[in-house]
Amino acid sequence: MRRETEIERLYDGHAQSLFAYLLNLTRDEADTRDLLQEIFVKLAREPKLLAGVRDERAFLIRLAHNAAIDLMRRRGTRDKTKENFAAETISPFAPANDPDEKVFRDELADALAKLPEEQRAVVHLKLWEGLTFEEIAAALDISPNTAASRYRYGLDKLRDRLRPIYEEIK
Amino acid sequence: MKLEDFEQRLQRQALRQIPTGWRAEILSAARVVETPRCGVGQRNALSLPAILSILNRQLSSLLWPHPKAWAGLAAVWILIFAVDFSTRDTTPILAEKAAPPSPEVVAELKLQRRMLAELIGASQAREAGLPGFLPQPRSKRVEILMT
Repeated sequence: MRRETEIERLYDGHAQSLFAYLLNLTRDEADTRDLLQEIFVKLAREPKLLAGVRDERAFLIRLAHNAAIDLMRRRGTRDKTKENFAAETISPFAPANDPDEKVFRDELADALAKLPEEQRAVVHLKLWEGLTFEEIAAALDISPNTAASRYRYGLDKLRDRLRPIYEEIK
Repeated sequence: MKLEDFEQRLQRQALRQIPTGWRAEILSAARVVETPRCGVGQRNALSLPAILSILNRQLSSLLWPHPKAWAGLAAVWILIFAVDFSTRDTTPILAEKAAPPSPEVVAELKLQRRMLAELIGASQAREAGLPGFLPQPRSKRVEILMT
């Protein structure tokens, strides 16, 4: 039986999380794929990057975050995302069978896309990666207090926007 | 609505799954550039393409940060070689264009050659036990030379 290589282990262990995070940031499946490939190519080319890293997931999220920010700066994606959003949005959520759940997910995806990127990143890592504020701070190179305040602002905005639908389908 | 309930509601939303086809594509792209992790014994087993690939990567990492500076340096070297070659080509041309020696110089050279031949001839005759050149006063030697 063939032995799993290091890069395969990293992919199987972390690609799903990185995919969801990058998709939530970029809202573009092609960009997400390019970024994901860029990250794994970088890891394959420089395996020593992970030497001495205690938390692989946090390190990879940091790589993904920096790659996404670089891409957005290169392309001016902030504006592009807003423009795209009006026309077509790639939801970071799985399709739901239940109609109420589907409506809620669509509204949530919409509300998330309208958050500033820095708040969206923290909200994603806190809610769907289950990271602590210290871990988020380390991954995004910010202070834990900044991470906490961004989360609070982001969550408040989401709650305000989703309040009607939340109350309706609760 | 309570904030905790709202957070839990959000956390329950399932995220989209990564397309399964991406794994093979991304890993194959990663394998192309993968740095071989080999020991000393395995180092000799590296194929030529692998060595060229590593060399290319190292050179790229060296040259990439300042491509204009490296291009400028290469241009300077090309200029130096061009100047060097053009200088080398002109040397024989100068020799060919040089003026031929004057008749006086030619005569002087012939005289020196004859003196040398006589000196060598005297030395060879002495070695063979034959009567050859005998030391004579300088005035006599001058007479011999003049004849």
